[in-house]
Amino acid sequence: MLPRRFCHCHRARLQFLSTRLIGQNVSGDQYDVIVVGGGHAGTEAAAAAARGGAQTLLVTQKLSTIGTLSCNPSFGGIGKGHLVREVDALDGLCGRLCDQTGIHFKVLNRSKGPAVWGLRAQVDRLLYRSAMQREVCATALLNVREASVEDLMVEDPDASRPGLARVTGVRLGDGAIVLGRAVILTTGTFLSGSLKFGTSSVPGGRLGEAPSVGLSLSLSELGFTKGRLKTGTPPRIRKESVNFDKLEVHHGDERPVPFSFMNAEVAIEPSQQLLCHLTYTTPGVEDVVRDTLAANDHVQQDTKGPRYCPSIESKVLRFPGRAHQVWLEPEGLNSELIYPQGLSMTMPVEAQVALLRHIPGLEAADIAAAGYGVQYDYLDPRQLHPTLETRKVQGLFMAGQINGTTGYEEAAAQGIVAGINAFLHTRSLPPFTISRTEGYIGVLIDDLTSLGVTEPYRMFTSRAEFRTILRPDNADQRLTERAYHQTGCISGARVVTARHIASRLSEGISLLKSLCLSSYRWKQLLPEVGISQERSGHMSAFDVLQYRGVTLDALAAVFPQDLVPFLDLSDRIQVEALYEPHAEQQKLDMEQVRRDEQLVLPTDLDYLHLPASLSIEAREVLHRHRPPTIAAASRLPGVTPAAIMHLLYFLRASGQQKEAGGPLVER
Amino acid sequence: MKQGLPPPRTAVLHSISDPNSGELLDRGLLLWFPGPQSFTGEDCAEFHVHGGPAVISAILQALGSLPGLRPAEAGEFTRRAFQAGKLDLTEVEGLGDLIHAETEAQRRQALRQMAGDLGHLYQTWSHTLTRALAHLEAFIDFSEEENIEDGVLNQVDNFVRQLQMEIHSHLHDNRRGERLRSGVHVVIAGEANAGKSSLLNAICQRPAAIVSPIAGTTRDVVETALDIGGFPVLLSDTAGLRDTHDIIEKEGVRRTRERLEQADLTVALLDVVGLLEASNKLTHLLFSFLEDLNVRQKQQCILVLNKIDLLHKKELNDLHCALKKEEDLPTVCWLSCKTGSGIEEFLRVLRAELEILCGNPLLGMPSLTQARHRSHLHKCLEALGLYEYYKRADMALAAEGLRSALASLGRITGKVGAEEILNLIFRDFCIGK
Repeated sequence: MLPRRFCHCHRARLQFLSTRLIGQNVSGDQYDVIVVGGGHAGTEAAAAAARGGAQTLLVTQKLSTIGTLSCNPSFGGIGKGHLVREVDALDGLCGRLCDQTGIHFKVLNRSKGPAVWGLRAQVDRLLYRSAMQREVCATALLNVREASVEDLMVEDPDASRPGLARVTGVRLGDGAIVLGRAVILTTGTFLSGSLKFGTSSVPGGRLGEAPSVGLSLSLSELGFTKGRLKTGTPPRIRKESVNFDKLEVHHGDERPVPFSFMNAEVAIEPSQQLLCHLTYTTPGVEDVVRDTLAANDHVQQDTKGPRYCPSIESKVLRFPGRAHQVWLEPEGLNSELIYPQGLSMTMPVEAQVALLRHIPGLEAADIAAAGYGVQYDYLDPRQLHPTLETRKVQGLFMAGQINGTTGYEEAAAQGIVAGINAFLHTRSLPPFTISRTEGYIGVLIDDLTSLGVTEPYRMFTSRAEFRTILRPDNADQRLTERAYHQTGCISGARVVTARHIASRLSEGISLLKSLCLSSYRWKQLLPEVGISQERSGHMSAFDVLQYRGVTLDALAAVFPQDLVPFLDLSDRIQVEALYEPHAEQQKLDMEQVRRDEQLVLPTDLDYLHLPASLSIEAREVLHRHRPPTIAAASRLPGVTPAAIMHLLYFLRASGQQKEAGGPLVER
Repeated sequence: MKQGLPPPRTAVLHSISDPNSGELLDRGLLLWFPGPQSFTGEDCAEFHVHGGPAVISAILQALGSLPGLRPAEAGEFTRRAFQAGKLDLTEVEGLGDLIHAETEAQRRQALRQMAGDLGHLYQTWSHTLTRALAHLEAFIDFSEEENIEDGVLNQVDNFVRQLQMEIHSHLHDNRRGERLRSGVHVVIAGEANAGKSSLLNAICQRPAAIVSPIAGTTRDVVETALDIGGFPVLLSDTAGLRDTHDIIEKEGVRRTRERLEQADLTVALLDVVGLLEASNKLTHLLFSFLEDLNVRQKQQCILVLNKIDLLHKKELNDLHCALKKEEDLPTVCWLSCKTGSGIEEFLRVLRAELEILCGNPLLGMPSLTQARHRSHLHKCLEALGLYEYYKRADMALAAEGLRSALASLGRITGKVGAEEILNLIFRDFCIGK
């Protein structure tokens, strides 16, 4: 666990750093990459760009809030755990920091198959934040500055690339200008944010923090399409006021599974980890919600919230007459607070108190901070390239909630992709994108940039077509090596580890495939496995491993000399064996998607007037969604195979003017 | 085909048999184009077969039963060729229009089919499967953090079991899809000595069956394969239905009844003279006769009244008027096998019935569509089997089964996307974080 000494020392250093920066002559400042915002997207973006070698500046309104968990004190979950693993495979921060600061680890969906396991951890809010601040400070080339960003500086575009303008820097609250070749906006809920308590509303991005209004205006001036979304957070409850005695206790895993591929175990001993508790709403809760509806603007307004119900108000209104789950989550090892997951609400504070009275265990609950709602601007993510660079302004990137997503993991995932590509942009290197066939990050960004959002976008495993291949266990094998080659934003230690595992995995698997015995012999050795009596001929140890109940340990008992050296990888090898029979078909399907993804559609196509034989319906759909690739276009409803053909024809025809007989525009 | 691959780009004459049953389907030309020197740049094979819908349908079905093979999507070959850089611009332009026409025809055809009972059936399946998948996906994505009601998985099991049963019985019991392969089964049946064999001979225009004035001449089923108005027909002449002590004739009657069970279309033949004698209980006689022939729906039957040459004009007119009032009777044809009068009209009626039974091949190759449908339904069933196999071991693989089942069905009814699944999840379950 984190030594206390270190925290202090690190705070002092942060202080020092900011004084030093503020004391400088700011007008002469010039960076490769400027990151606006210090949340989950901002920190990953800034660290990734700096890892690549970019002189990076992270600007935030408050240094002390870098790495804050604004909402729930937990990371991961089903689908989200996949994202954390993938961010880690790209050498990101959040996975490692969770392993350092997690206080309750649990792999969800254990019984449902390793492809959909949801790695999840409660983390200590304070420890996480200081660990993040320490990490940011320790990152070479990464500087931080406390300031608000009021405006974007732009110039004429680089004529060789698409775009109407080129970003050159930002103007700070005090009027100072900082130059940067790339700017990444990760403003979360701060863009014209307003906080809702009952019927009152105050400007703000988070409790006690001012919104970014100037930036919102300058984005409008640049012609970006904006929308408005809402979200909310529950009241925080004083631990000593909760009666845990009658509540259902939930323990973490006895053997915590770390998020990071770099960690064999987590920092805080399982024995030191904390408990979660589960309670349920009662009919009284429903009454309170209904009685206070008139005094609850947030719920009544029609700003888009998610179809899934984040607030207790929308839960009881849409699904009345049920007991809804409330998870009581610890906020930290030494924290006096409890986070009631499932009780996000925006009613007046008195009503919140009244509502808690109707929940077993919370009858005498004391609210330390009331729940509230947030409404904020987001930019239509269809205005982005799959690199998260905006189509309009060269060098300007967006990541996180500003793109209409919700969740720390979704933010971190976009942050790292934006950071890597901002770095590549400053070096004029080819961009780095992740396909839907390669990772949940690819699914996330493709969904955002090709379909846009109508509600805060959250990751689910059901969104991934290739779920049995895009697993949490193999994120390193899917992403690390390629990212290392193509970006330079991956540390040497990281890629060495990934390569070592890759070679041992393939060694172990080919060894298992080479260990053959007659099926008769296998039946004798492993009688309980249920190898069919009908089966004859030879079977490899890998085939046998696909049977339910067979473990690598059991096989190692048969071939101790060969297999014992691979026992440390038994979990991973076993998962590979389980999904192998199904992988062939998936790989064929992936190939098709990948080929279509290679066919990039120019961003400035005028679909409505394209001289190609397209139906009006197809034109309108294409015009509205501006799919970045043929793959994305073919997923749009209303775009027929014939329309795709004509589009391909048009592309080939116009592409030929530049490069006779050459291939289509390839990514 | 048992031998190895033929030499590349050379047409060879080959017999083509079903890989599962070994049954000979056709003899035709086979061309083998190993990639990259092929239309799409991939390995390709072309089968040049005899053009009848029956042969094409049988070969498509046999191919579809091989692992990894499926009917191409609209424009898929062209798309692949394009991606492999195999097409020049003019070719693509032309093919684009062709595909447009192809998909337009498919769309119209799909609309026609989807408007009918079959379309309704497929849609119902698609909805059931979508719900099953939505419930399973909800269970995977949310059951640990949210309260998803117990029994969700049982419900998925029930949905799947119901689908398996229905699709299975659709593929196996309903012969609609096979009609064009083995022909429509038309059975001529009726009382002894009503002139069934004469009618068969009149249709065949050759003496396929022995005819004599002696009742009970035909003792076994006489089968003839025919082409009537372009439709493949298997025409059966049967022993007349009567109580008899003759063991051989008894067996003949049993076989007649068996054949009637399997009939797509029954030609119910009556001696018109017999009707005249029973004029006071005419209706009763006709309906019990049809019932005896196992005719359940009037659409599956043509009622033929033979031997009109033996009646006076007035008698004929009276009968005509009496039968006209009966709305529940099948189409009635008046004829005389002896003089040939009325035979032309009967053949016209027969063709019309066949057209209804098979669908008009001029309206866009139903055999092709049917083979496509069967292949997709088979794949759908296979995928549901995958669900059954994995459902208690690995939900991700089980869900993969449902996903690919839905994709197969979606090739008939239209694609169901991830968003629609999520819509259903959020409609049916309270999920929030």
